[in-house]
Amino acid sequence: MTENTIMTVVIQEIIDECKNVKTIVFNMKTSKGNNYITPKPGQFVMVWLPGIDEIPMSISNCDNNGNWSITVKNVGDCTKAMYNLNIGDYIGVRGPLGNRFEIPNDKSKKIFLIGGGIGMAPLKFLSTYLTERNIKHIIIEGAKIHDDLIFIEYFKESKTNYREIFYCTDDGSYGTKGITCDVFIENINQFYEKELSNWVIYSCGPEKMLYKLFQICQDYNFEFYASLERIMRCGCGLCGLCALDPLGLLVCKDGPIFNSETLKKIQDFGKYQRDFTGKKISLE
Amino acid sequence: MLEVNLSGLKLQSPIILASGILGVSYSSMKRVIDAGAGAVTSKSIGPRPRKGYKNPSIIEIYPGTFINSVGLGNPGIKEFILEIKEIKTHNIPLIVSVFGNSNEEYLSVAIEAEKAGADAIEINISCPHAEVSSIGIDKDLTYDIVKFLKKTLSIPLFVKLNPNVTDIVEIALAAENGGADGVVAINTLAAMKIDVYTKRPILSHGSGGLSGKSIKPIAIKKVYDLFKILKIPIIGCGGIDSWQDVVEFFLAGASAIQIGTALYNGTEIITEINYGITQYLKNNKYNSINELKGLAHQFKTQEVPDFD
Repeated sequence: MTENTIMTVVIQEIIDECKNVKTIVFNMKTSKGNNYITPKPGQFVMVWLPGIDEIPMSISNCDNNGNWSITVKNVGDCTKAMYNLNIGDYIGVRGPLGNRFEIPNDKSKKIFLIGGGIGMAPLKFLSTYLTERNIKHIIIEGAKIHDDLIFIEYFKESKTNYREIFYCTDDGSYGTKGITCDVFIENINQFYEKELSNWVIYSCGPEKMLYKLFQICQDYNFEFYASLERIMRCGCGLCGLCALDPLGLLVCKDGPIFNSETLKKIQDFGKYQRDFTGKKISLE
Repeated sequence: MLEVNLSGLKLQSPIILASGILGVSYSSMKRVIDAGAGAVTSKSIGPRPRKGYKNPSIIEIYPGTFINSVGLGNPGIKEFILEIKEIKTHNIPLIVSVFGNSNEEYLSVAIEAEKAGADAIEINISCPHAEVSSIGIDKDLTYDIVKFLKKTLSIPLFVKLNPNVTDIVEIALAAENGGADGVVAINTLAAMKIDVYTKRPILSHGSGGLSGKSIKPIAIKKVYDLFKILKIPIIGCGGIDSWQDVVEFFLAGASAIQIGTALYNGTEIITEINYGITQYLKNNKYNSINELKGLAHQFKTQEVPDFD
């Protein structure tokens, strides 16, 4: 058994996050036994819906008992089937796969977690992880409308001095009116230039948003990490569908997290992905 | 030391990327070459875009052993020409794997690939989970398609053999008689995995092809058998993940090898294998890997069992 073997697990808990978004909880420790590997924030799983499909999903949380969660938005055939699952249903899970968000050893770093829509999923895991280690961080969560914001309740219930949150929506129905990049720039503007030298940004969301954030971070010389998403079959470096030109980096093995040094060299970033045939197509 | 010559196709290393692995974008193929491979084989390319089977389509069943049923998903030759051209700007020896629904379709894809700069063609007549396997299980159909393609193509033509047949040697001979420049042995073995909890086959297609560690002894035996009969080069393929495996395939009779599944460990494995073979050759005072070819055949094996 490896991390790449499909484990059939029973769904133990389902949490309604907001309209069209649910978190699904299952236990990996009991199925994996001695082969259990604790996932790290940023890693993902391939989730098999028997009879439907198998898709990559970020791990949105993991506790000490080996309960993992994924957070799914009902947007396509497979996510719809996943959204309609019940407690007690079986799903197949492979993972943890991919790399992780690298956490700075230096505690003086000013850390931002910036997520757009369902892209908050891996950042929730990261926030929990940082909080458990008493590391201060600021979250900027954005969505189109109030109904699309996730984890509001969770962050309220697990309120801590280590976490500060800014919400924003495109229509202003909750938090600041505007997009995450705007809120981020507002944050930057509140500081003197010399105070900006130790910022680290972790981000996940629509790639256009990630690209804008990347550009902002380049301008200010911030350390920047983005979690990318691509279509994949294997999740383990074989099918090549998630390759990023021109370096040939694979989102499944070399990613899904890439730093700005690497992103700078990836021409596909913010522009192209491959469809299921392997054809290169524009993002969105 | 590691240079090989496959019917005119000259390679710096006997390691070739197997079809179906990382063979979609020029950039990942370049990465494989940069790691030290002698050539790359593209994913099997057909005349038109094809999605293939839904996921799950690639699953690991034991460490290093996989079953896949990708179902020949590919962007189509028209689209893939862009990747071929990009690869050729990097001067990478490229074998394009082709398939089609008829001999004419195979030819049209192969010609397009040759025009775009492919250095050789490999025909996939053996994918165990797609309709093209029907050619590879029949010696007459195999002879016909090879003969038909060789009439027009000027670059070397390799035939990837289907191991899911009664007699692989008979099919390989038909390919040789048709004019093939080499055979690739073996493609994946028909296989299946059923989940005990949901009680259903895991792969969306139900079954697929077994690759990786578990199939290596089978592939060695096929190469060993083929070497006794064939005059054209044999490219060994199946479960190779170390320099010892490569040497073993050469001893069985291979003139080059392909590596695929093992790349889930990263492309660096190719660099390590090249190094390992070089050390082995030096330690055993060989000047070239070609000197190893078929050496296992010099030993007599016991044909009749002892009875008391």
